[in-house]
Amino acid sequence: MSTETLRYQDVNVGDTLPELPIPLTSSLIVAGAVASQDYTPVHHDKEAAEAAGMQDVFMNILTTNGLVSRFVTDWAGIDARITGVSIKLGTPNLPGDTMTLTGAVAEKDETGNAVTVEVTGKNAWGNHVTGAVKLTLPAGD
Amino acid sequence: MAISGTEREEFEKQLEAYVGIDIGLEDQGRDPVNAAMVRHWCEAMGDGCGAYTDPVQAAASVHGELVAPPTMLQAWILGGVSMASGESDPRDKQKELHRLFDSKGFTGVVATNTEQEYTRYLKMGDEICAKTVIESISEQKATGLGIGYFINTRTTFRDQNDEEVGWLTFRVLKFEIAEASASSSDESSVTPSRPQRLKPALGHDNAWWWDCVEKDELAIQRCSSCHALRHPPRPMCGECQASDWDFVFSTGQGTIYSFVVIRHPEVPGYTYPLVVAVVELEEGTRFVGNVLDIDPAEVEVGMSVQASIELVDDEMKLPVFRRAQ
Amino acid sequence: MPTTLKDEAAIVGIGETEYSKNSGRSELALAAEACRAAIADAGLTPADIDGMTTFTMDNTDEIEVARAVGVGDLTFFSRTPHGGGAAIGVMHQAVMAVATGSAKAVVVYRALNGRSGARYSEGVSGGPTTSDLIHWSWYMPSGLMTPASWVAMVTQRYMHETGCTSEDLAEVCIAQREHAIKNPRAFFHGKPLTLEEHQAARHIVEPLRLYDCCQETDGGAACVVVSPEMARDLPNPPALIRAVAQGAGAHQESMTSFYRPTMTDLPEVDLSARQCWEISGLTADDIDAAVIYDAFSSIVLWQLESYGFCKKGEAADFIRDGALRLGGRLPTNTHGGQLSEAYVHGMNGVNEGVRLIRGTSTSQPAKNEHVLVTAGVGVPTSGMILGQA
Repeated sequence: MSTETLRYQDVNVGDTLPELPIPLTSSLIVAGAVASQDYTPVHHDKEAAEAAGMQDVFMNILTTNGLVSRFVTDWAGIDARITGVSIKLGTPNLPGDTMTLTGAVAEKDETGNAVTVEVTGKNAWGNHVTGAVKLTLPAGD
Repeated sequence: MAISGTEREEFEKQLEAYVGIDIGLEDQGRDPVNAAMVRHWCEAMGDGCGAYTDPVQAAASVHGELVAPPTMLQAWILGGVSMASGESDPRDKQKELHRLFDSKGFTGVVATNTEQEYTRYLKMGDEICAKTVIESISEQKATGLGIGYFINTRTTFRDQNDEEVGWLTFRVLKFEIAEASASSSDESSVTPSRPQRLKPALGHDNAWWWDCVEKDELAIQRCSSCHALRHPPRPMCGECQASDWDFVFSTGQGTIYSFVVIRHPEVPGYTYPLVVAVVELEEGTRFVGNVLDIDPAEVEVGMSVQASIELVDDEMKLPVFRRAQ
Repeated sequence: MPTTLKDEAAIVGIGETEYSKNSGRSELALAAEACRAAIADAGLTPADIDGMTTFTMDNTDEIEVARAVGVGDLTFFSRTPHGGGAAIGVMHQAVMAVATGSAKAVVVYRALNGRSGARYSEGVSGGPTTSDLIHWSWYMPSGLMTPASWVAMVTQRYMHETGCTSEDLAEVCIAQREHAIKNPRAFFHGKPLTLEEHQAARHIVEPLRLYDCCQETDGGAACVVVSPEMARDLPNPPALIRAVAQGAGAHQESMTSFYRPTMTDLPEVDLSARQCWEISGLTADDIDAAVIYDAFSSIVLWQLESYGFCKKGEAADFIRDGALRLGGRLPTNTHGGQLSEAYVHGMNGVNEGVRLIRGTSTSQPAKNEHVLVTAGVGVPTSGMILGQA
């Protein structure tokens, strides 16, 4: 992650974020579910996941949100404030696959130095997540 | 089959009673916002942002002190281990609504969208509670998963001073699981770990050709009588009506006769944009295959290409083309 | 016995359901409603019907529809293969049945939940190992498995050979949209389309963009075919079938005739056209308006050439000054077509052809003596000429 925070002026519509591949492991899926206090069985119990028609445990939505947020702050830095996340969910994230997060700056709004980043997380089955993260950045010195 | 007629009308009237109501439970966070749970979350996510875990960096940042990752909002009010039992509070109107859908055959459930906004970042010691309202239920929709209804809920989060700190909405589809997938007689009822391309069906007239591909050869069928080449293979020669045939191996050299760049729909197992070309092989027959390792904008009719036979996924070999050197 | 199918039958009734993205009922229900409406429009009762025909791709049996509608004895029933190529093939069946006395009154129907049910855009896969699946197996492994991908392949070559551009394809879409704007049955009723919107829309399969591709629709359409003599006693002005013909050509495949000496030759369309002119004694100059099958915009251009409205390779020039629009040389797809009204596998086009002859289209040209109606392209196909009795 960057140690410098991006300034509002440094960012242009169309800028792309560094691609972030996330190897999907059972450990990540279970750790994400437990860290978010989401003990719904399909996220930690393979048998329960199989009964629901999946071949293994699959990622819960909070973890997806957490990864999307990390992807954006890795790029934007510590002084960015995330103000909103809006996502559409697609194919499940399953162990053994890789989700690759890509993103680009879609909008800038000078009132409040607001920036909207469009994000896509794609795995072998298609788009796991598509959406937008809204954040504010500090003004330049 | 989805319910219809008066049954559907009555059902949709029952649904109306749920729109706009509070689900009947207030979720009280069991722990105040705390550094241990935040650290655990950041470790799981691989999130190294100092605002969450490094007091020194946090103090120097716009946040001024340690804060919780904003996307962790809902984690502060979830039930933890008690959720594993699958039992729910009988007062929960949201669960009651889901059971009503189940009773009409809409047993499938999938979250399709979620939106969150954060009024402020949570600080250590904040105490969070939340209330959820069923905002709306859509009319019946045809979706990729089946016929169903979208339920929109909104959860509002407040702190110890009863001030709003953020909200989130969920859009959940309750759907009728398609008969085909429900009664699938496939030996594997679960999805394979990685999507593979669609494999050819093999029969008398084409299995030999695919056997050649397994041996890394691109074969062209030839009439034993008049020696006309033909592709795709057929059991009889259209020129002389002879039934006897053999085959030759193509050099794989050819030119693009026409091509497409497929962008939609994206079928699992394939990589998009996907270039597919009709290639005129130097032997004179044409063959349909992918063109790899090229910017789709650079593909042209007339371009020279060379075939090679390669594994295109974990299981299938296929002749593929690249621009000739 | 007649030796040709000239003036041997007429369409006397048309009917359809609403066109939507989610009908909320079975395909049988849609078929039955469309047939009931067509029979009523003809001034007949179900008991008068003794023949039924549809597409092999229709999921609803003739006898199921007959039972639902209350049709009794059937002396003729049949099916025509090859997707939209059957759109006039079914009319050919009906006319042959009436001309030979195999049936007196034939209902032709097509009903599908094409959006809420199985969607053709999702492509081919799986199923029993038939010659058909062996055929698709040459394309599925490479990912070429949707109608858009097959038609795009021929479109690319056509554009390469003729200089036709995406803007030329847009003119087909925009001309038809102008018609749809006025048609309350159309999905795009009241919604115009500009060249900029067409060009800005995403590619589905290059070179085809979103609006070059037809919709997917839930709906049913049907019509009733009887002899010209019987037609005289019925309430609506008949649409006399001046000619009707099917055609499959050399090196024909279903959608993937990529191996012809010239890929853009469409001998099956030429063959349907030639028969239509030979049987009717008419020429392209006699045609006042047309319903030209439009699963994709490009195939409209190719049919204009095959039917002789312009020379081969010159369709883009032919349409550039508004030939397909109202007031142009050949007002085409005055209902909006399958691009802009609904995709009912061409049966909605048959009904529009009848409305043109009756003078009741929502985009009615002043002259309407003869109307051409065609069927799917890239498959064995069919065509007919309707005229005033």
